[in-house]
Amino acid sequence: MDAGDDIATNDIQINSARRGDRDAFRVLVERHAKAVFRLAYRMTANEIDAEDMVQETFLKAWKQIGKFDGRASFATWLHRICANCSLDLIRARKRKQDLYPRADNDDEQDPFARLPSGSPSPERLAQSSQISAILIPALNELSEMERTAFVMRHYEGLGIEEISVALGVQTGAAKHSVFRAVQKLRRALEPVMSANR
Amino acid sequence: MTHITEEDLVLLYYDEPGVRPDVRQHLQECGECSAAAQKLARELSVWNEWTVPEADPELGRSVWAAIAPRLEVSAPLSRRFRWLKFAGALTVMATLLITAFVAGRASRHSRPSLTAGLSKQARERILAISLADHLDRAEMLLTEISNATESDAAEVSDDRGRAQDLVEEGRLMRQTLAREGDSSTLALLDEVERFMLEVANSQEKLTPVEMRQLRERIGSGSLLFKVRIIESNLRNEGQKL
Repeated sequence: MDAGDDIATNDIQINSARRGDRDAFRVLVERHAKAVFRLAYRMTANEIDAEDMVQETFLKAWKQIGKFDGRASFATWLHRICANCSLDLIRARKRKQDLYPRADNDDEQDPFARLPSGSPSPERLAQSSQISAILIPALNELSEMERTAFVMRHYEGLGIEEISVALGVQTGAAKHSVFRAVQKLRRALEPVMSANR
Repeated sequence: MTHITEEDLVLLYYDEPGVRPDVRQHLQECGECSAAAQKLARELSVWNEWTVPEADPELGRSVWAAIAPRLEVSAPLSRRFRWLKFAGALTVMATLLITAFVAGRASRHSRPSLTAGLSKQARERILAISLADHLDRAEMLLTEISNATESDAAEVSDDRGRAQDLVEEGRLMRQTLAREGDSSTLALLDEVERFMLEVANSQEKLTPVEMRQLRERIGSGSLLFKVRIIESNLRNEGQKL
C-alpha cells in the first residue's frame, strides 16, 4: 500500500468513526497508538504514564471526533490532544510535589529513580540513565508551551506551522516557544558541555 | 551583513522555511557563524541520546481493549449538532448554579436560599465547575475560529449567537468572581468577553480580513492557550474541593 492509499484509508476510517463506527475507530487506534506513545513518553518521561496518556488521548479523541475537520492531519490532531492530556498530568504531578515535598533529594542522587519503572531491559537503563538524569530536569524547567513545542519540533519533526495548529496559537508564538526552549536547554546543558570539552 | 541571530540558527538547524536567502549565504561565508551553527548542532544532538522505550508491538490492541468498554455507546455527534443539543441545557444549568451561588452568599442573613444547606466548599466547587464549563464552551468557539479559513466566513457568522450566549453567561460569572476577589480568572473572563463581543457584533458575513483579524487576536494574546490552562486548573480545583 503506498502513501496515497494509506491517507485515503485513513480518511475513510476517520469519516466512519465520526459517524460512530467503533470498528473504524479501532483501526485508527491501532494505527496511531505508537506515535501517540512516543509523544506521551517525551512529555511525561515515564513509560507507564505514557501508556495511560495513550488511552486518555484516544478516549478524548472518540468524544471529540465530531470536531475534527481535517484541516490539520489526524495525526497532528491526536498530537494536540495527547499534549494537552500530558500537560494535565504534569500539572497534577507538580501540585502533588508542592503539597508533599520530598524530605531529601533522592531523585537527584539516583538517576534511576527518574526512569520509567516499567523499562524492560537493564541494558537500556544503563545506556540512558545518565543522559536522562541530565536532560529531564532541564526539560522540566521549561514552560508548558515551550516543552510541548520543543518535543513536537525536535522529536516528532513537526514544522512550526503544524505546531501552531496543534497548540492553537499563531505561528510566531510557536516559533518563539521553540526558540526559547532551545535557548533555555542550551543554558541548562552548558556546564555539562563545558566539562566534556 | 551582521552575524546570524541565534533564532535564525535554530530555524536553519530545523530546516524551517522562512529563513532569508542572504542568511543562508552568510552562513557559507562566515567562519564565526558557521562555528556557532556547529556548536548549536552539537548541543542539540545531545537531546537525541534520550531514547524512547520501544512500545509494545501489541500496544494498539491493548489500548483498544482498555478503552473499548469506556467509549460512549452512542455515536459521537458532529460538533454543531452537539452544540445545539447541549448548549441550551448547559447554559440554563450554569445560570442556575451561579444564581444559587450568588443567592447563597447574598442571603446569609436573610431568608434561606437554594444553597442554604451547602457548605462554603460545596459552593466554591459549584463555581469552579461552572466556570470550567463556561471556559470549555468558549474554548470550542475559539478553536473553531482559530482553525477556520477565510472561506469559512459564513460559518463563523453563524456563531454570533453562540458568542452572544457566552457574553451573557460570562457576565454573571464575572459578577460573582468580582465579589470573590479572584482577579486572575476575572481578567481572563474580561478578555474572553471582549473577544466574544467582537464576534457577536460582527457583520452577517465576515470579510476575509475580519476573519484574519479575529484569528490574529486569538493568537497574539495566546487567548486559547490561557483559556485551556485556567479551565483545566478550575476543573482540577472543582474535583479537589
